[in-house]
Amino acid sequence: MKSSVSVAAVLLALGLAALPARGAEHPGKEALEKNGYHGPESCEECHPGTAAAFLETVHWKHASKVSNVEGLDPNKEYGMKNRIYVMCNGNDIVNNLKEIPKSPETGKTKFSGCNTCHPGNHLSDVASTGPEAQKAVDCLVCHSSDYDFRQRKPYKDAEGRVVMGQDRSTKAALAISKPTVKNCMVCHEAAGGGVVVKRGFSFTKETDAHAAKGMVCVDCHKAKNHRMPTGLDPNNWATDGLLVSCADTSCHGAKPHKDADLNRHTARIACQTCHIPRTGGAFAKDFTVWEQGSDKFYEPTTLKKEANETTPVYAWYNGTVKNTPHFIGPKGSRQDGKSRITPFKIFQGKAYFEAKTGNLLSMDFAPPMANGDTRAGVASAARTLGMKDPEQVAKNAVPGWQTIYFGSNHLVTKSKSLSCANCHAPNGVLNFKDLGYSDAEIVKLTTPELYLKKLVEKQKEEW
Amino acid sequence: MKNALALVAVLALLAVSVIGFSGTAQAEEIKMVGVITKIEIAGKDAKTATATLKDNKTENLVVITVNDDLTLDKFKDHRIQEGDEIRCKYEVIDGKNVSKFFRKTAGC
Repeated sequence: MKSSVSVAAVLLALGLAALPARGAEHPGKEALEKNGYHGPESCEECHPGTAAAFLETVHWKHASKVSNVEGLDPNKEYGMKNRIYVMCNGNDIVNNLKEIPKSPETGKTKFSGCNTCHPGNHLSDVASTGPEAQKAVDCLVCHSSDYDFRQRKPYKDAEGRVVMGQDRSTKAALAISKPTVKNCMVCHEAAGGGVVVKRGFSFTKETDAHAAKGMVCVDCHKAKNHRMPTGLDPNNWATDGLLVSCADTSCHGAKPHKDADLNRHTARIACQTCHIPRTGGAFAKDFTVWEQGSDKFYEPTTLKKEANETTPVYAWYNGTVKNTPHFIGPKGSRQDGKSRITPFKIFQGKAYFEAKTGNLLSMDFAPPMANGDTRAGVASAARTLGMKDPEQVAKNAVPGWQTIYFGSNHLVTKSKSLSCANCHAPNGVLNFKDLGYSDAEIVKLTTPELYLKKLVEKQKEEW
Repeated sequence: MKNALALVAVLALLAVSVIGFSGTAQAEEIKMVGVITKIEIAGKDAKTATATLKDNKTENLVVITVNDDLTLDKFKDHRIQEGDEIRCKYEVIDGKNVSKFFRKTAGC
């Protein structure tokens, strides 16, 4: 028996040294068919240490040390696990996956929680460690293209604990590869309370130039030992410490255009400014008033917009972030030599602020989801967070708005990118005054003198 | 004879108008929010499926034909299931309610 397992392991090791690209059949199929899939231990036969390493990533911890956001303790970790901001108003701690109280109207309950996307089983939850956590990793939800999502649902076990189900079938395991767009979008498209709500983009051939070329998320977000590179987004605090860059030599390089004039722009203008001229997603939310849905449960009042339905705002951004109770957004200036003009998706959310300190308060969604009582949600969250006199905190809480600048890093276009005349005109998309230019400079920046000859030549070529 | 010709002309105009208007109505996009009561899809390689939605406003059952690959894939792997609430836009084409937009309302 032992030797057959070893043979199977060797076969798998030979075949699975690297995960195949999508579409290619997973080597080691016979061994998986013969031995079945038993969760991460099956993967570990060929990828030893991977589960332990995965527990150190943002996908598992939902937090990391953050060095670019003002007002944070550099020795602590921050992220969805513990942040309080108005896209979610809760986090994994106060909105830990749980059974919502029964609706007074239907007598029915349901499961809800911020950590429903966490790739564990909830018993081993966000940031858990050790052998049990390693066994709980749901490798297939990210790596299988044949995952049965009926299995990935919360339920109560015999001890009354809330468990997140997983598809650990051999059928699903036989369909593994590098993550496809679908694997990523299972969680990322529905974040923030609905499809295209939080980030406001869809990654399809109709909406993104990279998708149109057949690229998938991990072609840019090239993981290193499951650590995912990300862009610098004022509202994306937790990172694995790796950056995505368009200027990567294997992608567009430092001089991405044939036209030297355009290449000069890249020093002060982010690629996204011209190549992501539209944005989308939730525009505003009100956590102080929840609306009843068809199932008689309540959800925060949300103004939703489609991908490419709204226009971004532009600001200088040097990668550091202003963080106050009423504003989370880019820091930077024309003068600092590090900033580039960058587009952002604006989002505004209304929630409760602590009367005494002015700090944004968090909300446990269970009470308002069941009966619309938002202050009960504030009291419950205050209790969970160990605040003094939670009922009083909730009673005195003051409604107010917070504005957030989200990075606008998808919906990339080449054919509809901004051209010279889109910005260098009196009614251009960039507000040069707000960006720190003098009146005299604006006159120079908004004349066709800058581009007329070149664009007329181009016009002749095209027609 | 002249009267008869005039009558034919009026009738023809009426017919053209009716066809024209009904053609316009068919091209209209109809929006609804409803809960899926049934999904019918013929296997893994199916290129079309139907989903029956119970309209939240009217409580009428509306059968929607779904042809887009992304939604079909969500039916196949059960990311979209019976009981899910859907925001849908559809057009009536050849008597079928053909989906132009099919999204779950819920998120995380």
